[in-house]
Amino acid sequence: MSIVSQKDYQAYKPRGFTTSDKEKVTLLFGGLTWRAERLLEGVFHGSGYHARALPQATKADLLRGRELADVGQCCPTAFTAGNLVNFLLDESKARGSQDVMDSYAYLTAGSCGSCRFGQYHQSYELALSNLGLDAFRLFFMDQTNPDGAQEGGGLDLSPALLSKAVLGIMAADVIQDVEYQLRPYELEAGATDRASQLAVEELYQACQDAKVPANTLGVAAWTLHSKGIMRALCRARRHFDAVAVDRLQVKPKVKITGEFYLQTVEGDPNYNIHSWLEKEGAEVYPAPVVIWLDYLLRFNSQYWEDRPYLPRARFNLAALRLASKALLWKYDQMRRAMNGLPHRVPRQHDLRDLAAPYFDGRLSGGEGDMLIGKAIWAHTRNKAHMIAELSPYGCMPNTMSIGAMAAVQGAHPDMLWAALEVKGDSEIHALSRCQMLLTEAKSRAAEEFDRALHASGLTLSEAKARAAETRQPVVRSLPSRGASGTAANLVLDLGGAEL
Amino acid sequence: MRIPILRNASAKTPSADRSDRNPDLRVGIPRILNQWSTPRFWTAFFEELGVKRRNVVYSSATSDAQQKQYSQGRGAVDCCYPVKCISGHYGELLTGLKKPVDVLFSPKVVSLRSFLGSHVVDCLGCPRVMAGPESARGGFVREGDSFAASGVRYVSPVVNMSEPMLLARQLTKALEPVFPGLSHDETLRAIEMGWREQDDFDAESREVAHEVLERCERESRPAILALGRPYHMDPGIGHEIENELQACGYPVIWGQHLPLDTQLLDRLFGKDIRDGSLASHFDISDVWKSSYSANTNELIWAARFGARHPAIAAAVRFSSYECGMDQPTYTPVQKILEARGTLFFSFQDLDATKPSGSVRIRTETISYYLERHSKRIMDRKRALLSGDAEKVRVLSESDE
Ligand code: SF4
Ligand code: SF4
Repeated sequence: MSIVSQKDYQAYKPRGFTTSDKEKVTLLFGGLTWRAERLLEGVFHGSGYHARALPQATKADLLRGRELADVGQCCPTAFTAGNLVNFLLDESKARGSQDVMDSYAYLTAGSCGSCRFGQYHQSYELALSNLGLDAFRLFFMDQTNPDGAQEGGGLDLSPALLSKAVLGIMAADVIQDVEYQLRPYELEAGATDRASQLAVEELYQACQDAKVPANTLGVAAWTLHSKGIMRALCRARRHFDAVAVDRLQVKPKVKITGEFYLQTVEGDPNYNIHSWLEKEGAEVYPAPVVIWLDYLLRFNSQYWEDRPYLPRARFNLAALRLASKALLWKYDQMRRAMNGLPHRVPRQHDLRDLAAPYFDGRLSGGEGDMLIGKAIWAHTRNKAHMIAELSPYGCMPNTMSIGAMAAVQGAHPDMLWAALEVKGDSEIHALSRCQMLLTEAKSRAAEEFDRALHASGLTLSEAKARAAETRQPVVRSLPSRGASGTAANLVLDLGGAEL
Repeated sequence: MRIPILRNASAKTPSADRSDRNPDLRVGIPRILNQWSTPRFWTAFFEELGVKRRNVVYSSATSDAQQKQYSQGRGAVDCCYPVKCISGHYGELLTGLKKPVDVLFSPKVVSLRSFLGSHVVDCLGCPRVMAGPESARGGFVREGDSFAASGVRYVSPVVNMSEPMLLARQLTKALEPVFPGLSHDETLRAIEMGWREQDDFDAESREVAHEVLERCERESRPAILALGRPYHMDPGIGHEIENELQACGYPVIWGQHLPLDTQLLDRLFGKDIRDGSLASHFDISDVWKSSYSANTNELIWAARFGARHPAIAAAVRFSSYECGMDQPTYTPVQKILEARGTLFFSFQDLDATKPSGSVRIRTETISYYLERHSKRIMDRKRALLSGDAEKVRVLSESDE
């Protein structure tokens, strides 16, 4: 029987973040790759904030998240809530919970979306309140839902800061892409990782040093030029150029798709799928965050496309389309700084058109139609031999896309598509499913390589000799000659042939 | 409460040339998800487009037999139970009707119309409500197009029920191939007719609920608030738990039917509006910040109504197996209700199996508590409403 509390329930409202908090409070954040997180640290540090990324989420975090919030969360919610709570608990042991509540605040992306992403805070708040850390401050970057962060005046998520953050994330994407295209072929184990660390530190410094004007035009001009970051990328390239590789090793290419958090992070939340696949002999084609940013712009554009009768619809639509163009132009500029090695971002209209017969592009939540669009794109455009789809247990939108994929599989029966349900604690089951398809992907890659040798009229040793003669830089645009595999495309290029 | 949606739709528009249209067209609509809150809308909508009322056919309510017979091998994914059931409804409409349908109409509901519309951030559907039809369709085309094989045209537009202008564009585009010559104005008019009928039905349900609550309060009889998604009224999804409670003599009122009478709402929320803690009778921002989902918003609002209304002595929460939207709301809903002493019970993880054992035990428990405590609960809630702190204190002490 309940006892009347005499006080109506109130949703959590964080204390404001004051200007004096800026001096003493460390902003915590997480949920991205270590590269992006390091660069965001640079962005915050350069803007005068103390900031640090949370440690990579682990299985212990998953269990903690499950234990403290209402049952039935999607696994990314459990991982991220548990990750924050465990960090705070460890810190509390060392310095007391009051000190922790005063010294840290958590900053994360909110959302006006329909899935739980927009309601993450509820799980965080419940978990923290169950531990007596009610006064801990959680801030959600969401314009439609002011959360009190701005109230104290100390946290200024200005366009200048956000634009630096976006460039930092894009630069991290570029570094990750290069890293994943070198590591499987490196001749000295660990060389790529070392280069990546050095590259990220170059960029960290550039993000920290970047001085962005406060006015809108100044921000736009800086974003387009951002000389410091571009120069840092060129320096980063030199670190990668020092990695010796043999790209004629035949490896299946596996495209990672799926729910945003799971496809992005590299660790326990997705069974360390990236490193597992590499260990199993694959080349991983990771999922850059920039596609997601472009998707958000596309989704917002659609809003105005559908409502031409609303005031300023044409203007807003034009502005969003321009923003998308600028985003991709900038990303291409960053790719060029890496001699064109990072993959080109698939265009949103392309993904939408590919997905259209199976999944409507107007449906929101999660990755929307992108999950389907990306799978078909990777398969039909020879971008990968296999697609590993990371599907979080308990995810609402993702289950729907997976259902619609049944129709896609009917139309593309030869697509190697592994939907891996990620619960956080059923690794063997998911990885063995992946293993089965990977075996088939390997044999397809080998068969494709044989066809490439045949088409190019070269033997493997001739191809190797010719590759050595060309003495091209390691970081350079790789040919695309109708094969999915890196080695096959290279052979075709050496022989001037196409598949 | 009628929600004004269109100003000029009923103004005279030239009537469409319907000679190309099939006068005996039969439209099948799966009785799934939010169809439980909008069936009158769709029936009247299609009738206005010239379909005979008897030719707007709904699949039957969800049942074990329906699922076993029609969804075998079609369900593509493991997800919440209400969405899993879509395949059974599709199958029934495709192959289980004596008189087949020509069109299977299964809208993908992106946003819903809600009386909370202007007081919340958005009125979106759950991602699975939106995309459920897409997912279910996958199971019917994976190995050949079952719709074409049954001679049925599958029409599944994205619909924003909360925006009439956009809705008219979406429906005109999707239905023009079925209703040749369909114009935007004709669709707009049909939408207005649809909402008119739905509003009348809703107003009636709310009126009945109002009377029941008034009577309960007058007679000091406890009523129970049923909190769930609209489709928990589906006997196969909610398992008619509310009927078991009614059978014990307690009137049960669904949150969806709560009265919106201004005088009553002023009694419940007026003080908070006057002291500035609420912006309006429909403001939920102090208890639920992420007010994006229409059904969730209404559920939270209903919990708050139930927490305050003196006749509502207990609330029963329904939630389906693997429901993602409900998960973050469990604690807030319970806390909202319990803060004013309303008894709170829940049936979670409802799936295909009727939880007869737990329903019986829970029903007995609810009856037991209501018999013993409902008078005090109701008195205390009344005292809380009138601001009689002393009476609240005394009643709470006797409680302990
Ligand atoms: S997309 Fe899925 S996994 Fe991600 S937050 Fe939403 S419900 Fe959770
Ligand atoms: S609200 Fe819950 S039960 Fe309803 S469709 Fe969404 S996830 Fe399923």
